[in-house]
Amino acid sequence: MKLILTDKPLNISTDSLDKSVKIIDLSTLKIANCMGCYGCWTKTPGKCVIRDDAVGVYPCIAKSDEVLYISSVKYGCYDTTMKTMLERAIPVQQAFIRLVNGETHHVQRDVAMKNAVIIAYGDISAEEKEVFEKLVERNSKNMNFKSCKVFFTTESLLEETVNNEVRKWKI
Amino acid sequence: MENIIILNASPRAPKSNSKIYAQIFQKYSKLPTEYFNINKLNHMEICNKIEQFSQVLFVFPLYADSIPVTLLNFLKTLENNPPKNKPVISVLINCGFIEPEQNDTAVKIMQIFCKQNGYVFGSVLKIGSGEAILETPFRFFVSRKIKKLASSLKNKNYGVFKTTMPISKNTFIKASTNYWINYGKKNGVSKEEMQTMKIENN
Repeated sequence: MKLILTDKPLNISTDSLDKSVKIIDLSTLKIANCMGCYGCWTKTPGKCVIRDDAVGVYPCIAKSDEVLYISSVKYGCYDTTMKTMLERAIPVQQAFIRLVNGETHHVQRDVAMKNAVIIAYGDISAEEKEVFEKLVERNSKNMNFKSCKVFFTTESLLEETVNNEVRKWKI
Repeated sequence: MENIIILNASPRAPKSNSKIYAQIFQKYSKLPTEYFNINKLNHMEICNKIEQFSQVLFVFPLYADSIPVTLLNFLKTLENNPPKNKPVISVLINCGFIEPEQNDTAVKIMQIFCKQNGYVFGSVLKIGSGEAILETPFRFFVSRKIKKLASSLKNKNYGVFKTTMPISKNTFIKASTNYWINYGKKNGVSKEEMQTMKIENN
């Protein structure tokens, strides 16, 4: 399964791609902040106790082996919409800890290893780019990325950048 | 007058470990402190309060390798509603992993906020094994470093501090496994149930 997760509506051309591509526009969904209750680890394992639109998104994240995340950047971090969803995706992990390349991380549930492409857009300074790249590198260990690439672009060039990346899935 | 506003940006602030870390800080601080939980509804109230303080200490957990969205959203409000006199901003961050360095990216994000908005960045305390350390004999490691953090703010001798459980990673994994098994047990959920590979019903 291939997943495109975007924080804003975009005109993405997927006509010639197979039906395994799913596009989720987070800006159209109602997703509350994670409460940090650990319910998804210790009360209803694998299920978030907040039954809003996020519960339809994190299973898609888990199943996908190709993901394309599109997010604006604030202070070198994903901006609110994407960050809120990523925080709500922790039901895909267990509470338990394991070693990954010598570092402690959570055990994953049934989560496919992923090739991830992150398209970060906005007016992003060189320092923010550097920190955002480090953040994605950190994410790769906690989100089962086997490879990840980060592209920076402006808002006006966003659709073109996204469609260029999506076209690579056709090959 | 020098004083500190402590802002707890944990998503579960009233019941958080961050609250306990803040209380330990208040115990050791020789400067007067006031404590607030950040929530969705009080951003403007806190932005107005900050004006009265010479220093801010943000206390929060690592979330998805960076700052919690609770804090991100507050910083965006603060950016649009800055105080006339900008206080020095310090950070006390904790993560559940044993490596305090896993907090580094979140600290850099806070530094970028400060740089973009004209705040002087003060001290940092990075805590590893922060979920459980307070319930272990190693609690005093945290107290000692929080005391150092408090002194650094008092003396304006800002620095970077870190602490974690002084045990091997394998021992940490065993201890954290027991911690979470007991956590589940309190909810009537077994280790095997917590280890389900299913996500929702898949």
